[in-house]
Amino acid sequence: MTSLALSRRVPIARRQLSAKRGRTLAGIVGIGVALLLILALKAIFAGMETRLTAYVDATGADVIVAQDGVRTMHMTQSALPSATAAAVARVPGVAAVEPIIYKGAFVESVGDKSGIVALVGGGPTPEIAAGRAPRAGEIVLDRALADKLAVDVGERVRVLGASLGVSGEVTGTAAITGSFAFVARPTLARILRADDVVSYLLVRATAGVDPVTLARRIEDSEPLVTASTRREFAASERAVVGDMSTDIVRGMIFVGFVIGVAVAALVAYSQTLTQLRDYGVLRALGLRARRALALVIAQVAVMVVAGFALALLLVALLSVLLPALSPTLVLTLRVGDVVEASAVAAAVALAAALVPMLRVVRVEPASVYRRAS
Amino acid sequence: MSSITDRARVRAALAAGGQVPVGRRQLLSEPARLVVALLAVAAAVALVLLLTGLRRGLGEQATIYLDHQPPVLVGQAGTRNFLSQTSVLDERLAGRVQRVAGVRDAAPISEGYAMLSLHGTRVLALLVGYDPGRRGGPWELAEGRTPRAFGDLVVDEVLADEHDLVVGTRLRFRGEALTIVGRSRGTSGFMTPLAFTTRETANALNEQPQTATFLLVTPAADVSPAALVRRIDAAVPGVAAHLRDELVTRDRDLFVGAFSGPLAAMIAIAAAVAVLVIAITVYSATRDRAREYATLKAIGLRRRALVRLVSFQAGALAVAGTVLGVAFAVAGAALVGVLAPKYLIALTTSDALWMAVAALVFALLAALAPARYLDRLDPATAFRR
Repeated sequence: MTSLALSRRVPIARRQLSAKRGRTLAGIVGIGVALLLILALKAIFAGMETRLTAYVDATGADVIVAQDGVRTMHMTQSALPSATAAAVARVPGVAAVEPIIYKGAFVESVGDKSGIVALVGGGPTPEIAAGRAPRAGEIVLDRALADKLAVDVGERVRVLGASLGVSGEVTGTAAITGSFAFVARPTLARILRADDVVSYLLVRATAGVDPVTLARRIEDSEPLVTASTRREFAASERAVVGDMSTDIVRGMIFVGFVIGVAVAALVAYSQTLTQLRDYGVLRALGLRARRALALVIAQVAVMVVAGFALALLLVALLSVLLPALSPTLVLTLRVGDVVEASAVAAAVALAAALVPMLRVVRVEPASVYRRAS
Repeated sequence: MSSITDRARVRAALAAGGQVPVGRRQLLSEPARLVVALLAVAAAVALVLLLTGLRRGLGEQATIYLDHQPPVLVGQAGTRNFLSQTSVLDERLAGRVQRVAGVRDAAPISEGYAMLSLHGTRVLALLVGYDPGRRGGPWELAEGRTPRAFGDLVVDEVLADEHDLVVGTRLRFRGEALTIVGRSRGTSGFMTPLAFTTRETANALNEQPQTATFLLVTPAADVSPAALVRRIDAAVPGVAAHLRDELVTRDRDLFVGAFSGPLAAMIAIAAAVAVLVIAITVYSATRDRAREYATLKAIGLRRRALVRLVSFQAGALAVAGTVLGVAFAVAGAALVGVLAPKYLIALTTSDALWMAVAALVFALLAALAPARYLDRLDPATAFRR
């Protein structure tokens, strides 16, 4: 019997793995949890990006005009003289211009609970889930914040010292960094003492006018503004999260890799120690060293693939469970992130196989004839 | 065949532990497995500590500006925090606050987030506009001078180094041309590195001349900050006076709170990994030595002693892994300080102590599976070929 024939007919790797099911399972769980570290973090940041652009996506604007050099809204200041709105409205191809004021603020309930919001004065309000759009002296809150503050439609909250009545609720704008709230522009201008200043202009193009062309036309016409299409603006908003989280994600990938390698190597090495005598028998029967090493790699690879599948399953489960527990925590799994995690998993498998390989390569066929201790 | 006296002697020797260090010998019999297990536990422990330290560091960095300011700040009525919210005051209010009894100085500042675009990367900073010669500016300069004229800018030196900004560099920000005239020290932060300009410049950027966001209030000698807060609130309508320390606490809660959920999830995962690694190691070692344990059982070692044996191994792994993990975390924090100084990983002794306690709990949890296995192990196994 040749080694080739042996390995083709007998599923040794599978049998070795199934011989100690508990340990194999523990290894798969360990690798899965390590890879979950990477996938969950990426999914959390991807979820943040989605929520970050929820408002921009819902405006329906073709072009967003901001102060010169400003291409984001979150944690950003933009100030335009009110007169800019009228000037932009005169640009050929502009169907409508809606100025908005955008500021960070705290909303406080009577019970002294508070939550941070991106307060938007003017412009369209996203689809109202309860109540109606805000009028003068009123505010629309995200339902997650309203629940946190324990306020209902019709009750009052305080914003920057002003008392506002809650006229309605929206959903889907709450993120871990805060949610959106909407008021009428004159209301916010009065609170901020900013009658002649707006933050952004939401521009709609006339039918048949390309948003990219219109944005360039607006910039040519108004030198102290930056005009971005909604898609460009949303991409820039998402890039804020990406730019700020790059190092943290890299760090977590490194830690996930180290833990994954350690767990996989530990389990594979423990399996190998138990199977040393088996390897001795196989070698005595003619299994070549290279095939023995392939067996080790196959076992590690199977565990890593199963661990990766488990991590995917867990992150999918978390993406359903976490938003139910906390509406601000949204997980979004992206194909690119899965591909990146699978590359880490492959690196884990290769690195983890090294330790048991070093042990197996030293196994002598003659060891099978010695008595076990 | 061993006599009852012999069995009693063996049992006594094993029970004494010190005479036959079975647990230690078993643990050390496979050094490679021990090293890998220790590394895995240490990596998990280090991850927990580094994440906890990063969370604390975020909070400390977020309030670095406030930490250097006088004990009372005044903002628009309804303000609760210094960061992340809007406050607009008519600058004439500074004069009214200045006249409140017990106020030595009320310096206006105009601060706000500044989303800088440097080398195609978005960098968030806190831009503080202050009146030259008054409070609110940089407290230590690494290079250059403080802002004096419109468009002068001082940036944090860590931020400057990261983006090759030197004294003399010109930046275009929100339609204005700004010139870097100095680099400040001790003003770094992951999300809130500081930049300073004149209040006139900051107000021009915001299109809000003659305004301030906050007043930095220095109490006169012998006036308590708390009493001054009450006096200002009572004397000046439309403002909210705050103790600096209260703002610090709220800003830290706000900043750190936003990251608490994801960080807690990561810490829970890392803790689960630590438990799992200890369990796999001890369980594997126990299964591999089933024959030895069966022999020990056959010669009379009791259930409690066997459980103690696996608990010792699990505990030793947990403690050694924690010590190594703390060392990794300290080294990691120092490395981050050198390679990426904008991140502050604030490790504390109490974190390490909590981690040690947690590790012992991990060990107890991890010992459950091998203990259950040993409980069911048939002593007759020892006599089978």
